[in-house]
Amino acid sequence: MFKKVLIANRGEIALRVIRACKELGLATVAVHSTADAESLHVRFADEAICIGPPQSKLSYLNARSLLAAADVTGCDALHPGYGFLSENAEFAEMVTQLGLRWIGPRPEMIKLMGNKVAAREAMERAGLPLLPGARGKLADAEEAERIAAEVGYPVILKAAAGGGGRGMKICRDPGEIGKLFETASNEALAAFGDGSMYLERYVEQPRHIELQIVADEHGNVIHLGERECSVQRRHQKLIEEAPSPAVTPALRREMGEVALGAMRRIGYNNVGTVEFLMDEKGRYYFMEMNTRIQVEHPVTEQVYRLDLVREQIRLASGERLDRSQDSVAPSAHAIECRVNAEDPVTFAPSPGKIVGYHQPGGYGVRVDTTAYEQYKVQPHYDSLVAKLIVTGATREIALKRTIRALNEYVIEGIKTNIPFHKRVLAHPAFVAGQYDTRIVDQILNPPAAPEEAPPPPRTKAG
Amino acid sequence: MATRPPKQAQDRSGEGGAAGGFTIEDVKKLVQLVEKTDVTHIAWQKGPEKVVIRRGTVTPFVSGPVYAPPPPAIHSPLAPLAAPLPVGAPAPAAASAARAEPEAAQPGVIVSSPFVGTFYRAPSPDSPPFVDVDQKVKKGQVLCIVEAMKLMNEIECEVDGTVAEIFAQNAAPVEFGEKLFRIVPG
Repeated sequence: MFKKVLIANRGEIALRVIRACKELGLATVAVHSTADAESLHVRFADEAICIGPPQSKLSYLNARSLLAAADVTGCDALHPGYGFLSENAEFAEMVTQLGLRWIGPRPEMIKLMGNKVAAREAMERAGLPLLPGARGKLADAEEAERIAAEVGYPVILKAAAGGGGRGMKICRDPGEIGKLFETASNEALAAFGDGSMYLERYVEQPRHIELQIVADEHGNVIHLGERECSVQRRHQKLIEEAPSPAVTPALRREMGEVALGAMRRIGYNNVGTVEFLMDEKGRYYFMEMNTRIQVEHPVTEQVYRLDLVREQIRLASGERLDRSQDSVAPSAHAIECRVNAEDPVTFAPSPGKIVGYHQPGGYGVRVDTTAYEQYKVQPHYDSLVAKLIVTGATREIALKRTIRALNEYVIEGIKTNIPFHKRVLAHPAFVAGQYDTRIVDQILNPPAAPEEAPPPPRTKAG
Repeated sequence: MATRPPKQAQDRSGEGGAAGGFTIEDVKKLVQLVEKTDVTHIAWQKGPEKVVIRRGTVTPFVSGPVYAPPPPAIHSPLAPLAAPLPVGAPAPAAASAARAEPEAAQPGVIVSSPFVGTFYRAPSPDSPPFVDVDQKVKKGQVLCIVEAMKLMNEIECEVDGTVAEIFAQNAAPVEFGEKLFRIVPG
């Protein structure tokens, strides 16, 4: 086992890792920018080193400073947390070359999954289903039409170079694909200087489902079920839960087996997350893989009673997985709300000093945060203030407990999205567990007339 | 406190503890001892080597291996416990306090470390230091080396003047923004 770990991150995840290290008896070194000198991860680490000015590029993304900090403090392992350099294969390589252990998957795994196209090809070869569609670029509208007929309508045309919705068109019948192909291609050409297009089957009601993978260095790999992450705003997750209300035990077993097969084939190690898009019929398609601990890992920890960060460190040091797939099963239901420093209506960031703070507690409530009264939420970094993780024997209990906890939560001096969380949790589709990635838009822009009557709400906020 | 890994100490054996009578562990123990008590000054001789540990004020540079308590900007294990925890302590971090106070009181320009690394006052263990207190310096003159990842980065003086104070100890780890020198222009 390691002796001293450098935590190359900030905020709640840095504290989360420090806690796991302390419980394993490892010394900890925190790094911080000048803006974070009073942050809790600095206080609770055994040592702390200032690595740069507030801008991430010069501090938390500054590989040289991080490595120098590990060097002068005599660390033998480095935990990257999430974000920043956690999925930077080159940095992982440098850490290894310096003689430190990288607490995460091997650099080649990070590299493979970092290239989204290569990752999809590799995972398809390894047996994971991909969304049906054209893998390569489409030659012209005729080819688009031919492939769309094979894939089945509706389909979505996407710019090969693109993102952010530009050069994207949904086609519902063969009559419109020719015209839409030209429009989308021209849009892509204007936006990205490249008009090449590809095509996929379009999922009308997509759910974001992800599977937690845990693998040791000796070829043993298990999964810890799925997390439902469909409550998103602009691809930013807001609420996650485990298990997913849309996944049956049989489906979980099937998805798990397929994913584990792929993980064995590529020789994955440490923790990771396989992201799937799931359609309204329960069919799932590989999207991408995250080669790090995730923000929402605690819901899995609560449900599977396993400390994932501790496991990450243990496995990186070469220890073996101490449980088999047969011995793990979801034992409860957990919901996580990401409490962000932002306006609950406009979603504009709201950094500043917290002048009043009261954190919820009681049975089944966990808060992962570095917030305290007088703490300044920095404008330089992401707006995550706290993760409220609530566990209950059933989904219904967990849901009511989450609402109870949100009602206890007091954060004064900055605006937070707590009121928006309450809106989501009270929404009939969420209460029923029948929602998809459109739910935030549906809440913000409710349809004029309800098209389909959702089940009656069983819960009242309060 | 930050210590150098043994492989590093051998690279520049002049200041490392590996070759002499004291090991890094010995010094660590002494530092811990000083921290746990009200003692402000310990001197311990073992063979040809002497360790002097002082807390609070910065000790002047002494020839031979001298080990200093952790620079205030790097938190020692005791720092988090000493300050009252989160509940609204107005100036909790020792670092910010240390950084703020002397600039106002003392004249001159502060030269601080541009990055994390190890501070060296001389180009090699056998060489005389680049500069000393009361020495006249010119703009562009090398004041010290901050070594990061085996790269020796020379830190140059930004003004003509006189070295009034040297804050960091030779071979000590320094962090970003840590004060190294005070130069009085003139």
